[in-house]
Amino acid sequence: VNDALTAEVLRNALVVAAEEAGIVVVRSAYSTFIVEGSDASAAVLDASGRLVAQSMATTLMNSMALKAALPELLADIPADTMRPGDVYVLNDAYRGGVHTNDLLVYRPVFTGGAPAYFAATMIHVSDLGGLSAGGMAPLATDIFLEGLQLPPIRLATSEGLDRTVEAVLRANSRTPDKVMGDVRALVAGTAVAAARIASLVEEYGEAGLAAGIDDYLDHTEARTRAALAELPRGRFGATYPIDDDGLHLEKAHHVRVTVSLEPTSVENGTVGSGIGVGRVGDGPEVAGVVVDFAGTDPQVPAAINASVSQSLAAAVFAVRCFLDPAIPMNDGCLRAIDVRLPPGSLLNARSPVPCGGRYVPIYAAMEAIFQALSDAVPERAIAASGILQPFSIAAVGAPYWIHLSYDFGGVGARRGLDGPDATGVHFGIGRNSVPQVEPVESRCPLLVESIETVPDSGGPGRWRGGLGTRTVYRFLADCHVTTRGDRLRIPPPGRDGGLPGRLGGFFRRHLDGTLERLASKVNNVRFAAGEAFVVQTTGGGGLGPPSERDPALVAADLEAGHVTEDGAAEDYRTFAE
Amino acid sequence: MGYAIGVDVGGTFTDVVLRSPPGEITVVKCLSTHYDPIAGIVSGVTRVLRGVDPSQVTRVVHATTLATNAVLERRGARVAFVTTRGFRSVVPLGRYARVEEDRYDLRFTPPPPPVAAADCFEVAERVSARGAVLTPLDLDSVRRAAAEIARRGITSAAVCLLHSYANPGHERRVAAILRESVPDVVVSSEVWPEIREYERATTTIMSAYIGPLMASYLSRLSDRLAELGVRAPVHVMDSAGGVISADLAARRAVATIESGPAAGVLAAARTGFPDVISFDMGGTTAKTCVVRGGRPEITHEFHVGGKGSFGGRRAGTGVPIKTPAIDLAEVGAGGGSIAWLDAAGALRVGPRSAGSSPGPACYGLGGSEPTVTDANLVLGYLASASLPLSPGLAGKALDRLAEPLGVTRERAAHAVHEIVSASMASAVHVVTVQRGIDPRGFVLVALGGAGPMHAARVAGRFGIGTVVVPAYCGVASAAGLLAGELSTERVLSRLDAGDPAEVFAELAAEAAGDLGVSSGGDGVRVSRSVDVRFLGQSHDLTVEWSDDRPVLESRFFDRYEQVYGIRQRGEIELVGYRVRVTLGAPPADLAPPAPAEAGQVAGSRSAYFAELGGYTDVPVRTRDGLAPAEGPLIIEDAESTIVVPPGWTAVPGPAGAVHLRKEDA
Repeated sequence: VNDALTAEVLRNALVVAAEEAGIVVVRSAYSTFIVEGSDASAAVLDASGRLVAQSMATTLMNSMALKAALPELLADIPADTMRPGDVYVLNDAYRGGVHTNDLLVYRPVFTGGAPAYFAATMIHVSDLGGLSAGGMAPLATDIFLEGLQLPPIRLATSEGLDRTVEAVLRANSRTPDKVMGDVRALVAGTAVAAARIASLVEEYGEAGLAAGIDDYLDHTEARTRAALAELPRGRFGATYPIDDDGLHLEKAHHVRVTVSLEPTSVENGTVGSGIGVGRVGDGPEVAGVVVDFAGTDPQVPAAINASVSQSLAAAVFAVRCFLDPAIPMNDGCLRAIDVRLPPGSLLNARSPVPCGGRYVPIYAAMEAIFQALSDAVPERAIAASGILQPFSIAAVGAPYWIHLSYDFGGVGARRGLDGPDATGVHFGIGRNSVPQVEPVESRCPLLVESIETVPDSGGPGRWRGGLGTRTVYRFLADCHVTTRGDRLRIPPPGRDGGLPGRLGGFFRRHLDGTLERLASKVNNVRFAAGEAFVVQTTGGGGLGPPSERDPALVAADLEAGHVTEDGAAEDYRTFAE
Repeated sequence: MGYAIGVDVGGTFTDVVLRSPPGEITVVKCLSTHYDPIAGIVSGVTRVLRGVDPSQVTRVVHATTLATNAVLERRGARVAFVTTRGFRSVVPLGRYARVEEDRYDLRFTPPPPPVAAADCFEVAERVSARGAVLTPLDLDSVRRAAAEIARRGITSAAVCLLHSYANPGHERRVAAILRESVPDVVVSSEVWPEIREYERATTTIMSAYIGPLMASYLSRLSDRLAELGVRAPVHVMDSAGGVISADLAARRAVATIESGPAAGVLAAARTGFPDVISFDMGGTTAKTCVVRGGRPEITHEFHVGGKGSFGGRRAGTGVPIKTPAIDLAEVGAGGGSIAWLDAAGALRVGPRSAGSSPGPACYGLGGSEPTVTDANLVLGYLASASLPLSPGLAGKALDRLAEPLGVTRERAAHAVHEIVSASMASAVHVVTVQRGIDPRGFVLVALGGAGPMHAARVAGRFGIGTVVVPAYCGVASAAGLLAGELSTERVLSRLDAGDPAEVFAELAAEAAGDLGVSSGGDGVRVSRSVDVRFLGQSHDLTVEWSDDRPVLESRFFDRYEQVYGIRQRGEIELVGYRVRVTLGAPPADLAPPAPAEAGQVAGSRSAYFAELGGYTDVPVRTRDGLAPAEGPLIIEDAESTIVVPPGWTAVPGPAGAVHLRKEDA
């Protein structure tokens, strides 16, 4: 009992250490992406690369990156050359990173003279070069167009930031002061978490802390396997399309998955990705899951590829969505999920294809798993969702102001439940990450004219898909607009007789009021003062035939403005009668 | 000065404390009456005034959970929300965060918005971030909205227009027109004129939601007290520990949401130590707060009705309220919390509570699940007092954990005690370490029925060497009310404000008006602070105002370093202005209870201390006439039980308090 208890106390203490680091970073950063919306990420890892704890705000995308990149850092900079006070940074997408603007920062915590743990933080920094201010390069054809690449290097010592590194970062940023403010925030965050870890080492002893961590990782693994064991046995496959690569607008690309829920005998270390799954117990009957993306289309010289860490995150996230949601997220959970990513595919990109557009393929991967597991567990089925639609608005030249944000599509209907409106089913990001109007207008020369839910955009069905939104930005100065959309050509399908969600899009409203649809992925499209940029998100798919929808629910939707009278008549004929 | 009465209505008990002019204290505890809290108050006040002329009562201060409960139980008024054209979807869309178990929950459905989508209305107008009118207010659009609100039979309205903090003109005209047909109208620029439209809107909506309820409750309470002969004005404690008139409490009801817990913190702040951590553990929750230099930490945003952990105050999971509140952390664990085994066989405690019905197994009221109280009884920490407790039933309940865990009953009970102490510690952690405050050097003040049983263990986890258990710790909130001063705050977000002195003067006049005094009057204290940030950042910190710019800058840099651990300099900007107006001198201390018979040793009993290898016979003493004594030891009085573990020493403190000390901490 006492060991389990200590493990539980340690689990909480380490999560708090990560939380503290995250708070420090988010409150002291300058990146507009962070300060008005999205949160900072922070995690605690051990020297063997195990993810020990992460802050609540840390998306799985970022914690998987921090996990995948740590062994790469240690390969280049051996642990025995590290000194207390050293801090390291990298962003190399092929070595665990995500894309240029996401800096991964690590600080070793020493026990007995050697690094035993790493406090890590990560945010999307203000700007590090590339095709557009703020970090989106949707039309990049190789990674060099996405900005400055950083292999694992030392960023700071106990004396402070390394001046050479600082000079290089400043020289490669459109916003040198802000990017250095972000870097200082990242470094400060690791200091806070490292101090907390050090005090835990002091309190529980080196061995005590390590044993406690082993215990709770084992406990998490046991819970994950117990939850996996409750799923039906079998192999379940699905395919999900990507609209286009931004360059060839008619050609779709596909992600394919087979989810195997069978009693498996897994040999040690035979994992496609090389990470994500460690050893598995020795018995022949192990309740695990194999998520194999064999058959996924090959990588392309365009920004719709993902690095390994991001694909792994998508797979783990999607599987987790069919397990007990209360299971903690750490290495114990990862051990039970075997993810196989074919090298050179859209989900396991090799140099030099761009990786910055990873949202697009990994959301397709996630959706494919959702659909496969919806077949496996029909009572928890979900129809496909509208995707998150990232965009940036920036000054056309110095001094740069940047508004980098995204809007959410509608979530697919669930069996027995309508889909939530304009929210993130994906990675569990909430609407709190969407900036508010007043601070944005205080900072940027634009006016937000409206933020509305789009009636009739939710895919009709017995259970209706969630609605998309429409937001209109009118510009008070010339600016550049960059977008990274998907599911704007091929709508998210419904399930079991439900209809697809209605397509959104990115639009330019000309001075005369006419609307022009932009491609889903555009780079630095110039808007004139007075013109408006319209971001309309796609609704979620419906589930079950619309004819079976309870007329009282249709009436309530009409009252709330979720459907129009025409929409109700057309989509729900029984209601019209 | 006459008699003063403090009334705190809690989930289980209504506590009434009477202070006589010389400072003597009388305490009455009676059961809360959920059907009508006023019934419990009237019976408590009647009992506490036995032998006292009610007309001698000159002050009644009330802490109420009415506002919180109305929010949690969704019992407030139906509210119509009026906003700028183009933005009626903003409140229904919400800004919840996906936390904890939500994150991987595909079946997650956002909580219903505080106003139904169909009850949101738009008016044609637009103001810029600098307060310039871009589109004049279309009065016809206001009249149409007013007519539709009236047609729907809605009697309470909240108005929040974009950038109204920068220019409240349109909001005021909208309110004037709405008031012709809607009885209760609240506007955001009067409730809390701070930038960020969503939180300003929800703050305004919640005020409109609770206000009518609060107004009628307080007016009935005044009437019933007057029937008893108590004609003193009823004051209400607000969430920040200030005391405001019943009239202001009705107008700005949203400011009273944390009324009860705030009172407890004030009690902790008056124990004679400047830096304390208030630790208040009741039946279902425990609350912590940091007091530095005698002043409780104040937050300017909290959340109500959200997810369980930290009392539903988890950012992003409830409805945000932007009014000052004592910065509490709350955990869903208390004496009634149920211990259970999760799917993988690990022991968990809470957040489910046995409450007062059926209550812990040992109450013998039909409960069979093991609770923290049952564990404390098995461990010998508790004994039957006013309420008879059944060790047999407690033991049977604990066996439901011990058997599957394969351990003895007392080991299971000890684990429950430890886990609860750990979650108490997490609440301490949130208000200290998580905010960059080192808890060592603070004193832990234990309040509430269960607090003193766990306090030393919690303190030990943080290296805190002193625990204070004040007199009246079981009725701490009611006693704390008597320490509240008439006080309120006003705020304004304003970029590029011309002359800060003018802004402050205006805010001070408004705040003084709220209290019914003038800002230059006798005994009126005005404190000013500003929200400052580095140019280019988005988060600000509140620091005490100085019109000497270098002084202000250095205050901000110091605070920044304290909060974020980064020593940074750079250009700063002022983004908000805050004024607190307080009336009168701090009230006198409470007199300690009169010493009873000096019966030191009340006996002894067997209690479990892991460091001593299990059960040990330990002395049981009473608080009265306590002489310094080393643990293990148990100290009992009418309201609480203090557990003094080995390594701790109990000594009598001033004002009837008991101090626990640990030398090597």
